[in-house]
Amino acid sequence: MSCYKIPKVAAFATLALSLALGGANTVAETSADKVDYTAMSAEQLADYLIFDARGFKLDVATQEGGTVRQRLEQDELQRTCSALQGARAEGDTATQVMAMARKAITYPEGEIKLGDWKKGEELARSGFGFRVGHNTDDHSEREPGGNCYACHQLDPDEIAYGTLGPSLKGYGKARGTAEAMLKYTYEMIYNPHAWFPCTKMPRFGANGFLTHQQIADIMAYVMHPESPVNK
Amino acid sequence: MSSKAWFTFPLALSLVGTAGAGSYQAPEDVLQGVIEKVESDYLTQSEQNLMMMADNPANWVAEEGKALFLEKRGPENVSLEGCDFGKGPGVVDGAYAEMPRYFEDAGKVMDLETRLVHCMTTLQGFSADDPAVKERHGSSSDMMRLQSYIASKSSGYKWNPPLDHPLEKAMRDAGNVMFYRRAGSLDFSCDTCHGETGKRIRASVLPNMKVPEEWTKAVSWPAYRVGHQEVRSSQHRVRGCYWQMRQGQIVAGSDASIALISFWTDAARGQPAILPDMKR
Repeated sequence: MSCYKIPKVAAFATLALSLALGGANTVAETSADKVDYTAMSAEQLADYLIFDARGFKLDVATQEGGTVRQRLEQDELQRTCSALQGARAEGDTATQVMAMARKAITYPEGEIKLGDWKKGEELARSGFGFRVGHNTDDHSEREPGGNCYACHQLDPDEIAYGTLGPSLKGYGKARGTAEAMLKYTYEMIYNPHAWFPCTKMPRFGANGFLTHQQIADIMAYVMHPESPVNK
Repeated sequence: MSSKAWFTFPLALSLVGTAGAGSYQAPEDVLQGVIEKVESDYLTQSEQNLMMMADNPANWVAEEGKALFLEKRGPENVSLEGCDFGKGPGVVDGAYAEMPRYFEDAGKVMDLETRLVHCMTTLQGFSADDPAVKERHGSSSDMMRLQSYIASKSSGYKWNPPLDHPLEKAMRDAGNVMFYRRAGSLDFSCDTCHGETGKRIRASVLPNMKVPEEWTKAVSWPAYRVGHQEVRSSQHRVRGCYWQMRQGQIVAGSDASIALISFWTDAARGQPAILPDMKR
């Protein structure tokens, strides 16, 4: 009997050790001989590799007070849009995604107003915030930005602008600042899927990336007549 | 065996050995070749880089890697000439263009970095914690020297990762799902940036996964990154993308990372590899 005790203790010790390490390094445990990868669908295997096999450092804390695991878990909108594999959302899928997005929008108290366009410009230029991993953005040092220039043209004098999104040069000049336009612009930043289902643009409000105030400041940069975007 | 069969057998073997694989071509010539085939702002965006390709600092890193490859090292005091990269022990010509692949001795699909770690620990006897194995980044790391050398021997060869083994296909398909998998604070996936041609982030033109002539440059790692002044690996690129997507840190050598690399290499199939490359 006693000879069976030793491996039992050893196995327990290994388990305790891996728990103590918090799964910091479990690559050795993820080899294909334990589970049959070929018996899973591609979707199941992708999820298995990310979560069960710990393909990411899942337990690392994030700036919003959660974990990397939570970042990687998909919500319904992300899952629905991923399944399209880059194709446009059409028909029922489009309707569903738009409804889902609209439900997730909250508005500031009172009316939607423009904030400070100068503050908004800083936010539009800054790509800081929410990065976690080999380097982690410290939000106590600097506030996160909206990184609008990564994808959009805004101030015509800025030449280093991205083109994944449409040009927003002269946005406010062309559209004005009537209440309906303020509401539309707010929604486009807060949850753009309400208007463009499965757009590539992030849900800056719904995902908690930008605050109501920051959205108001960015709206001012895009819409205010004094902003260089509209000069 | 009849005398006739005796003559035709090696001939047939040699035909199989060369069909579709290509042969060595200097990286600057390979790049020029794909530029002449397609109109691509991604391929031509940096005139300076194109001019400097022949003097790519990664070439020196590859040279250092060659010496390291042939040197008897580790507790077992053997060279890496005993390491099988898929085409037989010590065979590096064209080997990297056919990775990731399934390795019988490990029972899993491995990319170049994972295979090197496997050989350095099992063959040369290095512990996984030895700096020779553990240090993965930068031109002065053994890992990047060795990767640069081995990969450079596939320049001009067409990407042709095998899909004969069921695990190779399963990993490629899981990588396909990962490529389109939107998650994190910004709802991004790889497709957000690599699904269209000629789009830019700020001033950088992005490669499109669906245009193989463009994509071959995108997956041609190791590459000297001018902005970093270091040679970087595929694993480093994958880590950087997930970091920018706000999805945390992928574990180097995890099957998740190998699945994604399997998919992206498959997407460049048939196009010649540019190795080592030079990127912004």
